[in-house]
Amino acid sequence: MRLPVLLIGLLGVALAPWPVLAEEPQQSSSKCAAPADIFQDDPQLPKISEQLRQHKPVVIVVIGGASTAGTSPDSSYPYFLEAALRQRHPGVDITVINKGIAGQTTEQMAARFPKDVYPSKPSLVIWETGTVDAVRSEDVDGMAQAVTEGLTDIQNHGAEAMLIDMQYNPSTVSVINFEPYLDALHQTADQQNVYLFKRYDLMKYWIDAGEFDFINVPKEKRLTLAREFYACLGERLADAIDYAAR
Amino acid sequence: MAGTAPKPTRDLRLDFFRGLSLFFIFIDHIPENVLAYFTLRSVAFNDAAEVFIFISGFTAALVYGRSLATNGPLFATAQIYRRVWQLYVAHIFLFVIFTAEVSYAIMVVQNPLYTEEMGVADFLQEPHLAIMRALVLAFQPMFLDILPLYIVLLATFPLVLILMARQRMLPLLISFALYVLTLRQGWALHTRPGHDVWFFNPLAWQFLFVIGATAGYARVTGKWPFPSARWIGQAAILLAAAIAIINFSWTLHWIWDPFPPLLAKQLWSYSLDKTNLAPLRLISFLILAIATVQVVRPESRFLEHRWARPVIICGQQSLYVFCLGIVLSVLGHFLLAEFSGGFLMQVSVNLVGIGTMIAVALLLNWFKSASRRPLQPASSALSVPSE
Repeated sequence: MRLPVLLIGLLGVALAPWPVLAEEPQQSSSKCAAPADIFQDDPQLPKISEQLRQHKPVVIVVIGGASTAGTSPDSSYPYFLEAALRQRHPGVDITVINKGIAGQTTEQMAARFPKDVYPSKPSLVIWETGTVDAVRSEDVDGMAQAVTEGLTDIQNHGAEAMLIDMQYNPSTVSVINFEPYLDALHQTADQQNVYLFKRYDLMKYWIDAGEFDFINVPKEKRLTLAREFYACLGERLADAIDYAAR
Repeated sequence: MAGTAPKPTRDLRLDFFRGLSLFFIFIDHIPENVLAYFTLRSVAFNDAAEVFIFISGFTAALVYGRSLATNGPLFATAQIYRRVWQLYVAHIFLFVIFTAEVSYAIMVVQNPLYTEEMGVADFLQEPHLAIMRALVLAFQPMFLDILPLYIVLLATFPLVLILMARQRMLPLLISFALYVLTLRQGWALHTRPGHDVWFFNPLAWQFLFVIGATAGYARVTGKWPFPSARWIGQAAILLAAAIAIINFSWTLHWIWDPFPPLLAKQLWSYSLDKTNLAPLRLISFLILAIATVQVVRPESRFLEHRWARPVIICGQQSLYVFCLGIVLSVLGHFLLAEFSGGFLMQVSVNLVGIGTMIAVALLLNWFKSASRRPLQPASSALSVPSE
């Protein structure tokens, strides 16, 4: 029959170099480089772009969970994001406000927008979410709805929005069912035309490439490692903002 | 299968498509799997779960319906509960695997970066409660959400079957009413008060199982209860093609962003609610089923082909292969996560997994027929047919 031929053909296609695998790192100079396709997402940030170009003050609020809060005020990715943006855009007054609180679901975070986000009158709201929903096996559909409503609300308040998905770790992804939540988050971002920063893919890339290893870290090195990681993430998030505000 | 009394030849389509859905379920359960682009969910609003539940309902009614007619309700119920017991044991086994995986994870990932993620181990703070909750199916993280649905559907099936024997459409009507009320009222089963719903809501999914059972029971009575005009079949084929095009455009969009996803704004959110078997998923599946029955006839040649045989055997040993598939996807996931999920590794995990499912199905098939042979004359009426 023709089936063996077909199978061999399929295998040939499968084994041919795939674009994703062949990706070269973009920033060869920096320590924690990332493949270019990590940042490629259509939605843009025209408002931030305008403000940066015209040297107007920029306020960014980052709302999220434990991984946004970080391990201390000067050890979190929003902290390093602010530093990176200020360095890249000298002369622009850039403020990044960290509103990370551990242990909240998407819905709980959305509920504190009026208190934690809007009073600062941000031009950009970065929303890191999904982890607690996945850990607690909350309703995926409910999460997607909360994200949609939250994003619309942000836009109605005159700000631009950006999403950040979950953290990756080989051992946690074996026991937490991230897949449907990641899918829902990505698809919602796509539907709402909102830029999504692929933290999950980026961390997976770094861990697979041996850039970071979070397994069996000695106790005294854990905080230093966390800070190093947040510095890298803040740097790459600044890349993403520059990309979306091109 | 060999165990059932002499009867018209077995409809191999049931076995084939159930076997196929088992492969798809396995593949879909391995995250970030390249092969998952080529499963049913890439061309339909539903996925293999709907196929599996429908065919399970169909064959359950077929096998136990015959048993009910010849052996009476008590015996048929006992047969069903034998299956329920096997599923239950498999579920407890998965709970033990999950506990081991979580214990391993919190041992190696002691990092302030992952405080929220470590919430997954909260149940280990009160292991006594966790064990009790697992025993009553109220603990359903990760992959522990699949078997409870099947257990509940089968455990309540004797009632459905007995009602069906009296009035064949009655269970379907009750089931439909329950489905509609569940969707409208937002009824859900909670694993803990307030939060944590069952991922597969049995109150909704029972409808598909009972649709399958009603169709399967028609094979026992010989009377087809649904309209079967020709135009329905033809319309179903057209609609199935349209559904395939829409969903495939979404898949392409997913792989390559500039490709436009057709009607995604209008339809995507309606296909999302797998928990409650969203109507769009149900309709998509029913259209697909009707279209498949039109295109693939029971005597279709490819069912005899030797490449179809392993799939058919897996479908025939579905209960074991289903449980095995879940265990294998858990292991595969673990391997891919721990030892980098390069493309070759992914393909090997898929191939080894499916190979193992086929090998075990063949072994079970051989073992069943081999152990039956010497007893054949005396026990043919008592041998338990696989549902």
